[in-house]
Amino acid sequence: MAQLFKRWSNYVPLILVVVAMLGLATVIGFFSYFGSPRFTDVGYAPQQPVPYSHALHAGDLGMDCRYCHHAIEAAPHANLPPTQTCMNCHEILLPESSRLMPVRESWSTGLPIAWNRIHLLPDYAYFNHSAHLHAGVGCSSCHGLITRMAVVAQAEPLSMGWCLACHRHPESSLRPAGEITSMVWKPDADQARFAAVIMKQNKIAPPQDCSGCHR
Amino acid sequence: MKKRAPFPHDFVPEPEDAAEQWHELPSRRRFLRLMSASLALAGLSACRKPVEKIMPYVKGLEESVPGLPVFYASTMPHGIHPAGVLVTTFDGRPTKIDGLAVHPAALGGSDIHMQAAVLDLYDPDRSQQPQHAGAGAEWVDFTAAWKKELTQLQSRGGEGLAVLTESFASPTLSRLQQELAVALPGAIRVCWDGIQEESLLEAARAACGQAVYPLAHFARAEVVVCLDADALYGEGEHLRHAHGFAASRALDGNGGSMSRLYVAEPTLTLTGGAADHRLRCEATRVAALASALAAELGRQGLTPFANWPAPHLENAAEERWIAALARDLLAHRGKGLLIAGRRQLAEVHLLLFALNQALGHLGTTLDFMPLAQTALPATADLARLTAKMAAGEITHLVILGGNPAYAAPVDLDFAAALRRVGFSVHLSDRVDETSILTTWHLPAAHFLESWGDCRSVESRLSVIQPMIAPLFASRSAAEVMALLARGEEHHGYDLVRETWKGLLPASGYEKSWRQMLHDGISPLAPASPLQPDLERILAELRQQPAVSSSLDKLEVIFQPSALLDGRYANNAWLQEVPDPVTKIAWDNPARISHELAREAGLANGEMVQLSLNGRSLRIPVWIVPGQAVHSVTLELGYGRTRAGRVGTGVGFDVGVLRSSASPGFAAGATIAPAGGRFPIACAQEYAGMAGRPLVRQAGLEEFRHNPGFARAAVEHPPLKSLWKDHDYKTGYQWGMVIDLNACIGCNACTIACQCENNIPVVGKTQVAKGREMHWIRLDRYFNGTPDDPEMVHQPVACQHCETAPCEQVCPVGATVHDHEGLNVMAYNRCVGTRYCSNNCPYKARRFNFFDYTQKMAELRKMVQNPDVTVRMRGVMEKCTYCLQRLTLAKNKARLEGRRVADGEVRTACQQACPTGAITFGNLLDPESAVSRARASQRSYALLEELNVRPRTCFAARLRNRNPELV
Repeated sequence: MAQLFKRWSNYVPLILVVVAMLGLATVIGFFSYFGSPRFTDVGYAPQQPVPYSHALHAGDLGMDCRYCHHAIEAAPHANLPPTQTCMNCHEILLPESSRLMPVRESWSTGLPIAWNRIHLLPDYAYFNHSAHLHAGVGCSSCHGLITRMAVVAQAEPLSMGWCLACHRHPESSLRPAGEITSMVWKPDADQARFAAVIMKQNKIAPPQDCSGCHR
Repeated sequence: MKKRAPFPHDFVPEPEDAAEQWHELPSRRRFLRLMSASLALAGLSACRKPVEKIMPYVKGLEESVPGLPVFYASTMPHGIHPAGVLVTTFDGRPTKIDGLAVHPAALGGSDIHMQAAVLDLYDPDRSQQPQHAGAGAEWVDFTAAWKKELTQLQSRGGEGLAVLTESFASPTLSRLQQELAVALPGAIRVCWDGIQEESLLEAARAACGQAVYPLAHFARAEVVVCLDADALYGEGEHLRHAHGFAASRALDGNGGSMSRLYVAEPTLTLTGGAADHRLRCEATRVAALASALAAELGRQGLTPFANWPAPHLENAAEERWIAALARDLLAHRGKGLLIAGRRQLAEVHLLLFALNQALGHLGTTLDFMPLAQTALPATADLARLTAKMAAGEITHLVILGGNPAYAAPVDLDFAAALRRVGFSVHLSDRVDETSILTTWHLPAAHFLESWGDCRSVESRLSVIQPMIAPLFASRSAAEVMALLARGEEHHGYDLVRETWKGLLPASGYEKSWRQMLHDGISPLAPASPLQPDLERILAELRQQPAVSSSLDKLEVIFQPSALLDGRYANNAWLQEVPDPVTKIAWDNPARISHELAREAGLANGEMVQLSLNGRSLRIPVWIVPGQAVHSVTLELGYGRTRAGRVGTGVGFDVGVLRSSASPGFAAGATIAPAGGRFPIACAQEYAGMAGRPLVRQAGLEEFRHNPGFARAAVEHPPLKSLWKDHDYKTGYQWGMVIDLNACIGCNACTIACQCENNIPVVGKTQVAKGREMHWIRLDRYFNGTPDDPEMVHQPVACQHCETAPCEQVCPVGATVHDHEGLNVMAYNRCVGTRYCSNNCPYKARRFNFFDYTQKMAELRKMVQNPDVTVRMRGVMEKCTYCLQRLTLAKNKARLEGRRVADGEVRTACQQACPTGAITFGNLLDPESAVSRARASQRSYALLEELNVRPRTCFAARLRNRNPELV
């Protein structure tokens, strides 16, 4: 009887294994890239009810972050400014602008402006702004170059791995207290020495326990 | 994100209901449908990040720091016993209530009702608008209707109008009531409570000639006698009693000595459990016991009681008890205290007042404080009012608070009389049994959303300030009283301010008002005590025939439950908290003694027919050790027919046996098996410690001779670990010590923890399966004879073992140690194998068998602590040492460039404890309170022989026994 299987069929199992492994690698690769916050979240820039431009206010006009987000140094949550803060200037500046319509509406009706949240951590992760600012982590370390954003977009993945990377090696993210809100600050050659000094001086030891962020 | 229903008018079933629905398993078809639907939804919802909105204020708030709690002082009104509170608010939303340290009636401690009161604010069953004849109405409608009636009433001087209130102690309410009396002199004012201390107040009035409250100072007493008085838990002013009692028994504070507590009572209470010597005694026989004590004291040389007619006592043991007690009292003249419970008759109270005076206790351990600006309960007035209502003489009835149609004595038949009143108004927080019978129902405001004021029994004044704008169209009692008197609406703030204009000094009024709001109590001096005239009383008492101590029939005694008189029936936390004595949740079976059960052939859960004076009640029974042989204890507050989704139909309404003649106890009952059993959810069905030294206790003398008894209770080989130990040498190392000598078993910690940590309520069926979620389990053990044992309590939560057995078996690393010694749970890692719970020697872990939170009404969710993760179905949880509070304190200290000070961070249980039994802090600091407590000779680790090295330790319990009675 002639051979049912040709000689090349000896390679079928091997080919199948190779194909399966490639397939598995593709699936894993697909999900680890397209499913990670670096892909899904970075660059998220929803339309806001008011076309407020950070590039204009914080960039060109040079307003400090804390003029509007005034509680960040004391509060766990970074506050969004009340309508009142907008009206401080816009009562006089551009009082007729159509782009400011929702702000004036809020001011006259007493109803808040519903902003879309961009930087959204899971509910079981508790991030504290004041703790990070106090330790010397600047705004731009997590939020990116806000001063160049006409529409704010998420700059970093804000995933647990990303958080932990910095908690394990915070040296490159620590800056002098005066530079916290600066968007142009860059670590210089002395950064390692500076970080070592400030970490010792301020007893900076970022928690790596679960309880550091989850409770 | 899931679209939310508009707040707050949605009515989603409570979690306990939702959990109950799983009682019946879905059919196969339904199961497949559910599974396929959830699979499809799971796939879809994962594609998109949820969109959340941020709503900033329109106008910024001063001093508001987003995400940080703000604390405000206020007062929790409760009859004539208000207590100062410290309320935690998050962004203007009250989430937790604790006792206020500077208020004399709270002293920083709290009870289950104070802890659970915040849940009532967010009760979705609260009424949201007035009702007229069962249909929704507006406040303007009522105001207009009342104006019309008022003109008519004024024309006849108020004849035909009656105002029924609960007892209160409030300058503003009292002033407005006076105003109403002036405007309508013919109107009748009646005050009545479901649970009242009428006989005590009546006796005190007879002694002093005016309204007074006998205020006991437990801290100054060395020998305390409680006759049928649950002074540490159930009576008025129990918080300060518990505080003083713990102080008088703290060995450090008293040079190594302790006070001694004698209790004679018909049913086992927490005070009885705390007693050094406890005597079972039917409530009916307490009068005889008091008289026998007086006679014995007279015999032993207490002059005013010489030749006091001694009643015959039941047995020699009782006589020996009385004789030893009398000797102890005489040996501690001027440093003793005798009190009787509110259930007891006025004669018993009077006799004890006289004994207190003769022994020189007045002015030291007992003060008669004059009561002013109060309304005091009078059952006789209620009876007269009901008769008039039934006769048609009352045309207008206004009921401010309370629920008389449910709670009033059964013989008055209040409900029938109420139907005969043409214009009736009921102010209450929900449409209850009374509201459906009145023509008008008005929604009452919660004390956290209204203005008011209170007067403590020693006349310290304080203000009730709102923490939140009223959630619904509700009004406070003061606002309604003003509306009644003036015919127009006034805001509570203005009414309170009007009153306080006359109370605070005119110069600097605004400043002192603001200071008082900040402090929570006014600086005005308390009243000074009155001197009672007991000579005459004594002569009268002597004339009375000697009371008999024999009892051949059964007696029934009524006592408030965790729901009090039923006002907390819809409070799921209080329904689910196991009774500290019976450990039963969600029910109120009649408590009977072992002897009676044997005699009548009854077993736990069996239905009986209980008859008294021609009325009868079908109720299950529960055998309770320490119950007086012929006593049947009935708990009030259950069996409500219109409480809400939680409380309606839970338990049995024992009010059907309660008559106006004997609201406290009544003899002459009969009990007979009625056939059938009733399922009861009991959280702890075993009674003893099975020979293991879990709660370690000793007599004071034994402790003096052998101070190390607690640690010597267990023999074990040297404790060496197989594991590589963590290094706990830096930072903070948290630890806790629970002093069992101070713990009275009041459950305040359990509820405080439930409130602080978003712990769900699971319902009766789940409790019966042992699936309750309380992070603190209050273990109760009996030791001694089964019929009449001693009772001890031990709160057990996660012990935060340094070599935690749970961590070693978790397959996903969801429970691990952190560097501060905490055994932490990462909920999001947990896959629900429950191995950890299996391996926990303390059984301190709780598993979410269902999703208890998501289906909650939006309103109910407002009580949740935003700093604590809400756990999902399939996740294990347990005590975290209030990690959120630790984080908050550490961060605050960091921002201020210092370390967390000792005592700066307190866990929720520690803060709630009225006796200060819980100490918490940094073990690395040798000077910290917790380090010192741990170094105490009484401290021991539970199951230390397992070498799990728990961070929570216990301090052994001591009993100061009278050598004569040992």
